[in-house]
Amino acid sequence: MNTTVDDLVLGMAGSGGDGVVSAGESLLGALSAEGYHAMMTKSFGPQIRGGESSCRVRVSTRRVLNPGGALDVAFALNWEDFFRFGAELTLSADTVLIHEEKAGPPPETLGARGIVPTQILSVPVTEITKQSAGTDKAKTSVVLGLISGWFGIPAESLKRGLRKKFLSKGEDVLAANDRALAAGIAYAEAHPLLKPRTLEKTTAPPGSKMLCDGNDMCAAGALFSGVQFFGGYPITPSTEIMQTLSKEIWKYGGVVLQAEDEIAGIGAALGASFAGRKAMTATSGPGMALKTEILGLASIAELPLVIVNVQRGGPSTGIPTKPEQADLYQAAFSAHGDVLRPILAPTCVADTFAITVEAFNVAEHYQTPVILLSDQEIAQRKETVDRIDTSKLVVEERLRPQGAELEPYLRFRKTESGISPLSQPGMAGGAYQGAGIEHNEKGEPSSSGVMHAQMNAKRFDKLAPLSKRKDLFEITGDLDAPLALVSWGSSAGVAREVLALARSRGVKAKLIVPYLVYPVAEEVYADFFASVRAGLVLELSHQGQLYRILRMYVDVPKGVRSLAQSGANPFRPAEVLEKLLEAAKGAGIR
Amino acid sequence: MTTTTTTGLGEAPALSPKDFNSGLKPIWCPGCGDFGVLSGLYRALSTIGRPPHEIAFISGIGCSSRIPGYTTAYGFNSVHGRALPIAQGVKLSNPDLLVIVAGGDGDGFSIGGGHVAHAVRRNTDLTYIVMDNQVYGLTKGQLSPTAPKGLKTITSPFGSLEDPINPLLYVLAYGAGFVAQSTPADMPGMTSILEEAIRYPGFAFVNIQSPCVTFGQEEQQVRAQKTHMKPLASLGHDPSDLQKALELAGHYGTELYTGVFYRNPEPPLSYDRLIRLRQDEMAKQARPRAQILDAYLQK
Repeated sequence: MNTTVDDLVLGMAGSGGDGVVSAGESLLGALSAEGYHAMMTKSFGPQIRGGESSCRVRVSTRRVLNPGGALDVAFALNWEDFFRFGAELTLSADTVLIHEEKAGPPPETLGARGIVPTQILSVPVTEITKQSAGTDKAKTSVVLGLISGWFGIPAESLKRGLRKKFLSKGEDVLAANDRALAAGIAYAEAHPLLKPRTLEKTTAPPGSKMLCDGNDMCAAGALFSGVQFFGGYPITPSTEIMQTLSKEIWKYGGVVLQAEDEIAGIGAALGASFAGRKAMTATSGPGMALKTEILGLASIAELPLVIVNVQRGGPSTGIPTKPEQADLYQAAFSAHGDVLRPILAPTCVADTFAITVEAFNVAEHYQTPVILLSDQEIAQRKETVDRIDTSKLVVEERLRPQGAELEPYLRFRKTESGISPLSQPGMAGGAYQGAGIEHNEKGEPSSSGVMHAQMNAKRFDKLAPLSKRKDLFEITGDLDAPLALVSWGSSAGVAREVLALARSRGVKAKLIVPYLVYPVAEEVYADFFASVRAGLVLELSHQGQLYRILRMYVDVPKGVRSLAQSGANPFRPAEVLEKLLEAAKGAGIR
Repeated sequence: MTTTTTTGLGEAPALSPKDFNSGLKPIWCPGCGDFGVLSGLYRALSTIGRPPHEIAFISGIGCSSRIPGYTTAYGFNSVHGRALPIAQGVKLSNPDLLVIVAGGDGDGFSIGGGHVAHAVRRNTDLTYIVMDNQVYGLTKGQLSPTAPKGLKTITSPFGSLEDPINPLLYVLAYGAGFVAQSTPADMPGMTSILEEAIRYPGFAFVNIQSPCVTFGQEEQQVRAQKTHMKPLASLGHDPSDLQKALELAGHYGTELYTGVFYRNPEPPLSYDRLIRLRQDEMAKQARPRAQILDAYLQK
């Protein structure tokens, strides 16, 4: 009997040349083109290039929120590599385990792990490849054909994807891969599964989904905002932002400068902003440390600039390939002098786009550096995203002087909003001296305490309206609930799931997620906490940095505790729920 | 006074040195060499003929880095050692601007030394003027990276044990297309070198031996320089001879050569020009803003 499923988790492992990650990417591309929701995660052995690799692809007709549990389908190209990824590629009795015939029968270690799948299929993958394609280099296409044949994944999309991938390799390679794909499908049809399982057809129209990661959405958001200059230095896990812009920005009259170091990267970006262009840089924690001096310059010179920090495990080299949310103190406080720099944070792949646009808007509107705090989890997870409606997004431009404002032009003119019209080289009548030195309204150096106090006040006052913007917060759940969750960045995804779990059990609770993390919007939190007696602040940092920063500015109710753990340790929703219910009990909430 | 002259291209206001003087009183000590550099620059700029608002003048930190503020151009007196990266951001963003970078030997060859090689190899069309006085003047007399071995300063009270950096060889070695040296002791020579450097269509470097009257050594003062400076032209040096230029530059610290060491006779297209060509070539691939995300749609 054939069962139709609406959710399927596939996992594959092989050695460097087997192309399992490449197969996963092709599969992900085909599924998303068909309109399915899908997510892919990859794992590599210690040697990133040439060593063993594995990937998981989860596909569903509904939105995919996480990579899923035990595999429905496992593919082992050799056993040694497969077992190296035991933690990522977990099996159950229901798993369909497929292996390369050449690898031999499953070793006894499989049984020793306690669970033996009831369906184990031995397939002569190399043989099929050689016979159909005339080479053993098209193994990936045979594997995709087998998956397509057995689980009902549309072959046409896979074929289109493979053709796109091998386009530059010539007609012979294309034809060989077509034959390999067809041979895989034919083998699967000739050898039906014991308990056939077919993926349900999706009702979403084909071509309605984007396939991207957070770094893609950051680069796209920047282009949408009209970025014209990127200055930066390669650093994991932010580099893809620079890579994408290196392909795209020239089309829009912009420039990517791969600078000699992190300092030159932000320096050049600030120079571009001084010249009147929208500019950005992207880095991770260690690079952020190097950029700090020029951040101060951007603040005092009142120049717009977007600085992206894709957080990773730290300090120092830390764990470059895993997420952490421990650069919040650095972003908020690594300043010399009295400085307020807005910090914005996306929470998932999709919202990285709009939050990046917002970062440019805040930078340009308030003439300030803005720090966009993303993290490795959001930045590098590839998934399907529903088409984003960009028609309502506003793109702001900096206030430029005109008419009487140029007669004479005062760069740091005191205005009611604290925002002074900003000229740029080339503009007649607008010449001024930008500087890191304290200055008067005209921009001339000043060491007067009175002037310094006035200028500090100007630089802070102009940002005051920002923390009144409720639209930079997501508040969901029961608004009068005594039980609350607070979370930010990638952890907010877990918090959303915990909130849903709690409410599905009849527990009244609510959640606040700040997209504006700093300055702390005191009134927004005061309103939110008014009904709250207990709760959790959820974040991936040993110290609980958000929790402590909130307590600096807000009367956080005593029953609201910090639930913080070091990066690279994903929260499990069930455990968080338990802690939330404990907190409720401790505060006498029933 | 601004007067109007007729050029082949139509009416353009002729500029005088005064048009570039902001009137702000420099903070320099009386007799500082930087006064000479400033006045030479006013003259050179008036000859070039670009109006002040089309000039971006970028500097770092130090006595000499205050120089943009004394001009009517757009200026950016930034942070210590980072003038070159900032200036490249300005020029690459708007190649129509005339971009000048200025600073001292500490700013350029100590804290900012790592940026020089990259500015040179990229060959962005900038003019980089270093006012070299072999001492940290603003912080009152510490050892600088160009100070001679053995020099006694307040941070090397028993004499420096380090060899100095050679700014001329440094930029020549990385392939700078225009390398010159001068001194306020030779105002007409310095003015014409500044003009030539600004006109050079690529990265141009001018080392100016600008004496520090307060903390500098006796032999580096204008009066002494006048007696021992040697114009390269008087030696019959051909500025297109790179090998000879390298040899002559090797005498930095012992001989005060003035003039152009090297000028590339066939300047390649500068980085900003190459970038503009790439932008022009790719402009037709631009998507309207509303379609930028379509690149990620799976079809």
